[in-house]
Amino acid sequence: MEQHQEGNKIDRRKFLNSGIRATIVLGIGGLGFSLLKNLSAEELVWQLDASKCIQCGRCATSCIMTPSAVKCIHVYAMCGYCDLCGGFFRPETKQLTTAAENQLCPTSAIKRKFVEEPFFEYEIIENLCIGCGKCVKGCEAFGNGSLQLQVSHNLCKNCNQCAIARVCPADAFSRVPVKSPYLFKGFGNKKLVKPAEDDE
Amino acid sequence: MKKIVLLLSLLFVLTFQFESAFSQRFPKPEFENGHQQPPTLTPAPRASLMQWFDVFVLLASLSVASWLVIKKRSRRGVFWLSVFSLAYFGFYREGCICPVGSVQNIVLGMFHPGYVIPATVVLFFAMPLIFTLFFGRTFCAGVCPLGAMQDLVLYKPVNLKPWLQKALGLIPYIYLGLAVLYAATATDFIICRYDPFVGFFRFDATFSMFFLGGIFMLMSLFIGRPYCRFLCPYGVLLNLTSLVSRKHLTIAPTKCIQCRLCEDSCPFGAIEVPSPVKPAEMRETTVQRFLILTIIIPVLVFAGGFAGGRIHEKLASVHPKVELAQHLLNPEKEVTEEMRVNLDAFKTAGKPTKELFAEVAVILHDFYVGGWILGGFLGLVFGLSLANLSKFKYQPDYITNKGTCFSCARCVDYCPVKDENPILQKPQN
Amino acid sequence: MKNYNKLPETNLKLWKGLALFAGIFSFIICFLIIVNFVQINRIDPVNVETVNALVQRLHENPEDLALREQIRELDLLARKAYFTTQWQIRTGGYLLVAGIALLILSLQMIISARPKNPIPSAQAPENYLFTQKNARKWISAGGISMVAIALLLAFLTHNKLGNNLSDASKPNQITENEEVVEIPVAEISDSIKADQIVNEVSVLDNQIITTAQDSSQNTVKTQSPADIPAEKPASISKVDDFPSDDELRRNFPFFRGFDGLGIAFQKNIPTDWDGATGRNILWKIKIPLPGFNSPIVWGDRVFLTGASNNKKEVYCIEASSGKILWTVEVKDIPGSPGTSPKVTDDTGHAAPGMATDGQRVYAIFSNGDIIALDFAGKQVWVKNLGVPKNHYGHSSSLIIFRNKLIVQYDQGAGGQVMALSVSTGDILWSTPRKVKISWASPILISNAGRTEIVLVADPNVAGYDPETGVELWSIKGVIGEVGPSPAFDDGVVFVTNDYSKLLAIKVGEKPEVLWESDEYLSDVPSPVAASGLLFLVTSYGAVACYDAITGNKFWEHEFDEGFYSSPMIVENRVYLVNKKGVTHIFKADKEFVAIADPEIGEKSVCTPAFSNGKIYLRTQTSLFCIGS
Repeated sequence: MEQHQEGNKIDRRKFLNSGIRATIVLGIGGLGFSLLKNLSAEELVWQLDASKCIQCGRCATSCIMTPSAVKCIHVYAMCGYCDLCGGFFRPETKQLTTAAENQLCPTSAIKRKFVEEPFFEYEIIENLCIGCGKCVKGCEAFGNGSLQLQVSHNLCKNCNQCAIARVCPADAFSRVPVKSPYLFKGFGNKKLVKPAEDDE
Repeated sequence: MKKIVLLLSLLFVLTFQFESAFSQRFPKPEFENGHQQPPTLTPAPRASLMQWFDVFVLLASLSVASWLVIKKRSRRGVFWLSVFSLAYFGFYREGCICPVGSVQNIVLGMFHPGYVIPATVVLFFAMPLIFTLFFGRTFCAGVCPLGAMQDLVLYKPVNLKPWLQKALGLIPYIYLGLAVLYAATATDFIICRYDPFVGFFRFDATFSMFFLGGIFMLMSLFIGRPYCRFLCPYGVLLNLTSLVSRKHLTIAPTKCIQCRLCEDSCPFGAIEVPSPVKPAEMRETTVQRFLILTIIIPVLVFAGGFAGGRIHEKLASVHPKVELAQHLLNPEKEVTEEMRVNLDAFKTAGKPTKELFAEVAVILHDFYVGGWILGGFLGLVFGLSLANLSKFKYQPDYITNKGTCFSCARCVDYCPVKDENPILQKPQN
Repeated sequence: MKNYNKLPETNLKLWKGLALFAGIFSFIICFLIIVNFVQINRIDPVNVETVNALVQRLHENPEDLALREQIRELDLLARKAYFTTQWQIRTGGYLLVAGIALLILSLQMIISARPKNPIPSAQAPENYLFTQKNARKWISAGGISMVAIALLLAFLTHNKLGNNLSDASKPNQITENEEVVEIPVAEISDSIKADQIVNEVSVLDNQIITTAQDSSQNTVKTQSPADIPAEKPASISKVDDFPSDDELRRNFPFFRGFDGLGIAFQKNIPTDWDGATGRNILWKIKIPLPGFNSPIVWGDRVFLTGASNNKKEVYCIEASSGKILWTVEVKDIPGSPGTSPKVTDDTGHAAPGMATDGQRVYAIFSNGDIIALDFAGKQVWVKNLGVPKNHYGHSSSLIIFRNKLIVQYDQGAGGQVMALSVSTGDILWSTPRKVKISWASPILISNAGRTEIVLVADPNVAGYDPETGVELWSIKGVIGEVGPSPAFDDGVVFVTNDYSKLLAIKVGEKPEVLWESDEYLSDVPSPVAASGLLFLVTSYGAVACYDAITGNKFWEHEFDEGFYSSPMIVENRVYLVNKKGVTHIFKADKEFVAIADPEIGEKSVCTPAFSNGKIYLRTQTSLFCIGS
C-alpha cells in the first residue's frame, strides 16, 4: 500500500516535470518566434559612422584593445594630396618638413611621401596608429576629410557590447552587416555594395 | 576573399570619385608622372560563415558533454572537454559571444523590435538551455569557458557553510534582474561589461577588468567556481531548467548505499545529504510558518516593487541620455571634462533639447515600471526561497542538488557502487 | 578509485616544486604588468604636455635650434616609452599565461595525486534544520537590508533631481503645445492668409511634438511685424536662439539689408548732405585697411572688414560716436594658406559683406577664412573653408537664416552652397552646385509660406531650402561672370548679367519666366524691386524702371557717372551712389522724379547702410555717418 503511494507520488512528479519541460521548450520556441522579425542570418560587426564622428579621442582610450581597434583609414580617393596637410602638420607649422616638432600625429604613424610638385601622398601605418583622431580632425577642418576613423575589422574583437560605443558622445557606433562593414563618409555606401554583389 | 576586398576598394574608389567631384575643397590632382593612387585598405571582418561553425562546435561539445556525463560518467572526459572549450570558446574565440551574455541580446531584442539579432546569438542562448532541460547542466560542466577557467585552477576547496551558500546563491537573481532591466532599457550590457575573464581570453583589457579577473582567479583556488555559483546570471536560468531536467547526473549509478564517501567530494556544495527521518520540529510551527509565508510573500513582492520603484531614477542615472538630460536641465550642475564633451557633442548634433527631454521622460517611465518589476521579482525570489527553506523534504540518499550541480562528475569517482556489479568495493589507498 | 591518479612520490615533489615556482613567477610577472599599466596611463602619447608646450614655445621663436632638438628627443623618448611599455605588457601577458598554465598543470597533478578520502570525515554534516534556519535568517536579513538601502538611496540622495527631470520633460511639452496652437487660432479671423495658417495648424496637430519649435517660428513669420511681442523669441528653445524677422528689419543685418533684398525699413532718412562742408555729416572715420564690403548695422554698432595682402581685420564702430570700439585681426587660422590668393585690385581681399544675427557677427575673406565674433570682439569660432578658386577674388556676401549662416561658395571647381552653425561653425549642410564662378550674393525670399535661398550663377538661378540645403527649383537664366545679386518682389525673382539678359522669374512649385529683356543689363550693381516696380542700374550710368509683372518699361534715365554700388529703397525713395560718391535720390515711382544729388566728396563703390535717421556710407578710405 505504502509502496503504491510512493510510486504514485513519483509518477505524479514525473508527469509534472515533463509538463514543465514541455512548457519551457515551448517558451524558448515562442521566444525564438517572437524574435523572428529581429533575426538576421548575417553576422553584425561594430562600425563607427565617420560622418557622425567628432574626433573626441575616446576611441583611443576606451577600446578594450591596446592600441585601439579603431584606426585612421586613408580614403585616397578623397585626398587632395596637399603639401600643407592639416592632418599631418601641427597648426601654425612654418616649415613643411617631417620633423617631430611639425608632426601632428603623436605616434608618427603618418608617412609623407613626395609624389610630384606640389603633391604629397600620406599613408597611415596601421601598427603605429592609436586611433586618437587628431589627424582626422585636422584633415576635416582644413582639408577634404579623406582621413577617417574606422573600426579595423582585422583587430576588432566584436565585443557583445562595444566599450567605445558606450562612451561615444556623438552616438556614431552601430552594428552593421558583415557585407558592408565600413561607414566612410563622403560617398554612397549603399551604392558601393550593390555593384560589388553584381560582379560576384 | 582578398580579391573581393580589393574589388570593393576599387569600386569604392571609382564610385567616390564620381560623386565627390563637387564637394571637395581641394580637388584630387592629376599626376603627370603617372603616379597611381593606392587603394584604400579595408580589412574584411571574419567571414559570416564562421559563426555557424561556432554554433556547430557548441552543439557538438554540448552533445559530447552530455554523453560523457550521463552515459560515460567520466570525470576525466569532462575535464579534457573543458580544456578544449576553454581553448576554443575562450582563447580562440575570445569569449564573444557566449550564452551568458546572449541573455541581454535576447532581452533587448524583445523590448526593441528595431534591434537586429544574428540568428546564431539566439541559438547560443537557447541550445544550452535545451540541453540542460534534458541532461542537467552539462553546459557548465564542460562547455562554458568561464566555468572551465575557474574549475581548472581549483586547488583546495574550502567547504562553505550550507546556509551561507544558500544566502549567497540569491545574488545571481539580483544580477540577472539588473542585467535584464538595463538590457531592456537599452542602457548597457552589464554582464559583458563586468565579465571577469574575457580580458584573459583576449590578452587585453582595461586594468579594472584584469583586476576583477585576478580576484576571481585567486578566489577560485580555494572556493569552487565562485563566479558560477554566486554571480552568473545565466546560471539562474540553467539552475531553474535543470530542476526539471529529464535526466541528470547521479552520484551512484544505481542505488545509494549511504557509505558517506562522496560527502566531501563536491567542491561546489551541490550534494544533498540525507535528511533525518523525522522532522525535529513541531508540526504546528511548520504550519504556522507556512501561513506566515503566504502572507509574507505578497508583502515582500510589494515591498520590493515599492523600493524598486522608488530608486528607479537612481537606476536610470547610468543611462547616458538621462545623464545628459540632467545636465541640460541643471546647467549649474558641476560638469566633468567628459560630460562637457558629451554636452558639446549634443549641442553640435542640433537635436532639440525638448526632444531629448521627451525621450528621457519615456526612459524614466520605463525604468519606473522596470524598477517595480525588478523589485517585485526579487521580493518573490526571496519569498520563495524562504518558503523553500521552511519546507521539510524527506530524502534518504546522497543525491546531487539538480539545480546547483554543475554535472562535473567529480563525485562519480568517489562512489564505490558500480553499474554492472553493484557490490561494495574496497576503496584503494 | 582509478589508477591514473597515482603519482610516484618523487614526481609529486617535482610537481610541488614546479607549482611553487610557477606561482611565484606568475605573481612577479603579474606585479610587473600592473606597474606597466600604471606607467602606460602616465605616459599618454596623445597628450605629451611637455612636448606640446615646447612646440608652442618654438612657434614663438622659430629660430631656436636647441629647442627644436630638445623637442625631437623628447618626442622620440615618449613614443619609445609608449611602444616599449606596450611590448612589455604583451610579452608579460604571454609569460603570465605560460606561468599560469604551468601552475594549473602542476596543481592538477598534485590534486590527482591526493588520496581520495578513504573514510568519511569524522565530522557529521551540518544539521539540516539548522541550515534551513540559518539560511532563512540571512536571506531575510539580506532582503530587508536591500530594501532599506534602496529606500535610503531613494529618499536621501539626489532623488529630487531625477524627479524634476521627469516632471520637467513632460509638462514642458504641454505648455509648448498650447502656445503654438493658440497663436494661429487667434489670427484666423483677421488674417488674409487664413487658409495657409489653417494648413499649418493641421500640420502642427500632427507633428506637434517633434516640430513644435519650427512651427512656432513659422507662425511668427505670418504675423505683421508690429504686433510681435518682444518676448516671443524667448519661448523658443535656448539652444536655437535667433532674432525674429522684425528684429532683423529694425536693423541692417546683411549686405543690402533685410534678407539681402535692397530694401531698408528705417525712417527719417536724410536727403541732404555735403561731404565738403560737413553739412549733415555726423562723423567720418578712416578705415585702416581697404575693403569693398558694405557696412552692416545692429543697434548701436556698425561692422565692416578691411584687408590687405597680409592682414585681415574686422572693425566694430560705435554708431553714435564713430569710435572704433574694437579691431580684431584675423590671423593664425588653422588651415589657412600662408599667402593670400591673387585677387584683382577692384575686388580686393575683403569684398564679401558681413552678416550679423544680433549676437555675433560673421566675416569671410578672400582666402576662405571665416570668423564669428561676439559683440565684444571675442572670437566664437573660426575656420577656413578652403581657398576659393576665383580669379578676381571671392565676393559673395554672407546671409543668415535663423541659426544658419549661408555661404554661397561658387568657385572654379567644387562650388557649393553651405550652411554653417552660427554657434559652432560646423557645416550643417552643403549642397554641390554645378555652376561657374559667381560673384553675386545670396538672397532670402519668403514665398508661398516657405523661405528659400535664391542664388544666381552661370548657367542657372536656383532656390534652396535653407533648412536642408535641398535644391527646390532651378531655371536656366543668365550666363557669363555673374556679378549682380537677384532681386525679389511679390513672388518674382529678377536676375541679370552683362552680355546676357534680364529675367523675371515667377517662383513657386513650377517656376516660369514671366518676361525677359536685354535692353539694359548690369555687370556689377544689383537690381532692386518693390511695390511692383523693378529698378535696374547699369555700371555705365543708365537706370531703367520696369513694371515687375509685365516687363513694360516705365522710364529710363542716363546719369553722368557709372555705378558699382547697388540701389537701396528706403521710405519709397531710391538711394543710388555713383562711383564718384554722388548719391542720386529719386522717387521709387512709375515716373522719374529726382529728389536730390548730395555729394560725399570721395569715391565710393559700396552700398549704403541705414539706421533710423542715419546713413552709413563707406568710401574708398573712410566711413561716413550721415544724419541731421
